[in-house]
Amino acid sequence: MKFRHLLAAAALAVAPSMASANCGIEDSGEVNILTNFFDTLELLANAMEECETESFKIDVKLTTTHKEERERAFEASSSPYDGSAVANSSITALQAKGQLLRLNELVDKYREEHQIEDQMLIRFGDDISAIAFMANAQHFFYRIDLFEKHGLEVPSTYEDLLAAAEALKAEESVTYPFGAAFGGSGGWEVANEFVNLLLANGGQLFDPATSEPAFDSAEGLEALEMMGRLSEYMSPNALALDFLDVKRQLQQSEVAMAILWGSEANGMDDPSESTVVDMVGFAPAPAMVDGGPPATTFWWDGYVIPKNLDGDADLTFRVIMHATSPDVVAANNEAALWIRSNYVPTKYATAVVDSVKANAPPYPMNPQAEIAHGALGNNIGDFLAGKESAAQSLADAAADYRSAAEDAGLL
Amino acid sequence: MKLRTFLAFVAPSVAIMVILIAVPLVGIVYLSLFQSHTKTELVELTVEVPTFGGQTRRDTRMSPQPVLDSSGNPVRVWTYVGARNLEKATDLDQLAQALDTMRDGAEGGLLRRMYQEATNIDFWAALEFTLLYTFITTPAMLAVGLGLALAVNSVTRRLRGTLVFATLLPMIVTPIVSSLAVYWLFLDNSLISTLTNELGFGRFYFLADQVTTRTLIICYGIWFSAPFAFIILYAGLQTLPQEPLESAMIDGANEWQRLRYVIVPHLAPLITVIALIHIMDAYRVFEPILVFSSDVYASSVQYLTYFVLAYEDNIHKAAAYSLLTIVGVILLLVPVLRHSFKERRVQL
Repeated sequence: MKFRHLLAAAALAVAPSMASANCGIEDSGEVNILTNFFDTLELLANAMEECETESFKIDVKLTTTHKEERERAFEASSSPYDGSAVANSSITALQAKGQLLRLNELVDKYREEHQIEDQMLIRFGDDISAIAFMANAQHFFYRIDLFEKHGLEVPSTYEDLLAAAEALKAEESVTYPFGAAFGGSGGWEVANEFVNLLLANGGQLFDPATSEPAFDSAEGLEALEMMGRLSEYMSPNALALDFLDVKRQLQQSEVAMAILWGSEANGMDDPSESTVVDMVGFAPAPAMVDGGPPATTFWWDGYVIPKNLDGDADLTFRVIMHATSPDVVAANNEAALWIRSNYVPTKYATAVVDSVKANAPPYPMNPQAEIAHGALGNNIGDFLAGKESAAQSLADAAADYRSAAEDAGLL
Repeated sequence: MKLRTFLAFVAPSVAIMVILIAVPLVGIVYLSLFQSHTKTELVELTVEVPTFGGQTRRDTRMSPQPVLDSSGNPVRVWTYVGARNLEKATDLDQLAQALDTMRDGAEGGLLRRMYQEATNIDFWAALEFTLLYTFITTPAMLAVGLGLALAVNSVTRRLRGTLVFATLLPMIVTPIVSSLAVYWLFLDNSLISTLTNELGFGRFYFLADQVTTRTLIICYGIWFSAPFAFIILYAGLQTLPQEPLESAMIDGANEWQRLRYVIVPHLAPLITVIALIHIMDAYRVFEPILVFSSDVYASSVQYLTYFVLAYEDNIHKAAAYSLLTIVGVILLLVPVLRHSFKERRVQL
């Protein structure tokens, strides 16, 4: 969620695509797609551009500021983007505003031709609102060699993790024991870490019956105080480091363990960017309470089509289906935890799968969750920076949530 | 000049000003008076999401869903709220309440506690740093710019072209790019941190503390804006007549006195113009705050506008913040404008 990655995105977007093969769409026209920017989405963008012909133009915009653009575009009388990549949290507001095209008819029409599988369909009630292609979850990354050297076991609770961090303080080959994404603009990532700990601690973000905030609770306080204790084992710059910085810290042997997205796991073994190839192990995130679920939420990524698109929904749908086809999955099996059934799980997926088996909840798919997430991101940094108490931060966040939820007509 | 001719001459610029300045301004005032949302109702909804290996998970819960009108479109609610957005944006209620009760944990004297309470509120925290940034960078960029102009003016003609170009570089680079470059210099294991460590000063964490983060942003602001002052003052120096300088020298004025009593008064109108433009720019400081992801330590009014639009998805409250930015800029400009107006009258 960071603006500075936009540069890299821009550089990659102008790189000539290797597209030459035509993907079987003979129609002419134009399809514009807006997506977030990370490796898997870039791969899918390249797959989409394979459909480009003389008379059929495809433009995929990869940007980490996709959210702002999407909200404006889908709200306008006509959207310049015919499709967009979304995830659990970002779909909720769009769905609750009734901006997403119902895909049921298109799915029925192309089910055979594009081998659409049931588990790819994101349903709100009877409506199919998105086509999912990959799953993701944050989990625990650790240096196997250092854990062996210090006689440590993979932590099963956050208390264990703190104990391991204390032991790893003595390790000279790394600068800090632990890394987690507490930075990133808008505080989205630090709030996400909090949500992981809150839900695993038995708390919830809001009361579904009344939409009142519920994170300002004993469970929330414990979760936030845990983050404060963790930050003592992290880089003092942690509030300015996002998940890509943390990934780099682990790759460059600056930290011995980290909480990161599953989709970053294969990057640990990429010799062109990592100095710790084959030295990083993966496990589900530790639990907050003994025997409880791992402190993480389960995510999916998928594509939606807005109701107000200015292009052709049928054509857009086929381009999306081409990019998420079984062939693309087979050719890039290691790149993500694909949802299609021809995906063969790799060692990079086990930790995510184990997290789900251990009952990690999906990220709450309600619009209130996104508002609470934003309010938390804007406030809990004050506690982590030592400016105020954890209770005060949560109270501030609850006040911000109420104000924003009122404006959104939810309270 | 006939009135018709006059009107024909000014019409294009009036039209452009209306389209580019007046209409957007009226637009944000209008937007800030309303609040809008899609009408929703809580209904029981089953959401089905994939997990892995062909599995899905169903979750049934109460969820807000759009209320549809007779033609199947979601109902939008527009409400006139008057000044409520402005009140919410400035959080005056919360400010008054906070100052009344004071947090229990706060220590120190009354003023210190009042400061802590006020800067715990988004708008006042943002305003604090915006003003700090404006008041420090304005004199500093003028001083640095003047110094550079005098220095470049005193080297041989052959070198001047190259020097002018080199000095202008910070202004030519897009702010977002130069902010990134500076940010990367100060991260963990970046050039500067590694250098201080190697030299035996230990590791410095520039982004881990309010004072250093703010210092970095302010230094960046001076570095970025000084070339603007430089180029204008350098041009001004070229128009400096030699006679008063020579007579000052004959009168025995030293270099400082010549600068103070001859050069600076000659450049005074330019300095006013630079200050005016820089105050407007500085009050809208945005890029370094976004790039340093430092909103815990340093925020700005312009950043708040962006944050509310991007993360709260509330165009009305964002409009209220833009309005506050405009009001802030006007308030800051009034003293400078009055000062220069008075001076001009004296000259006449």
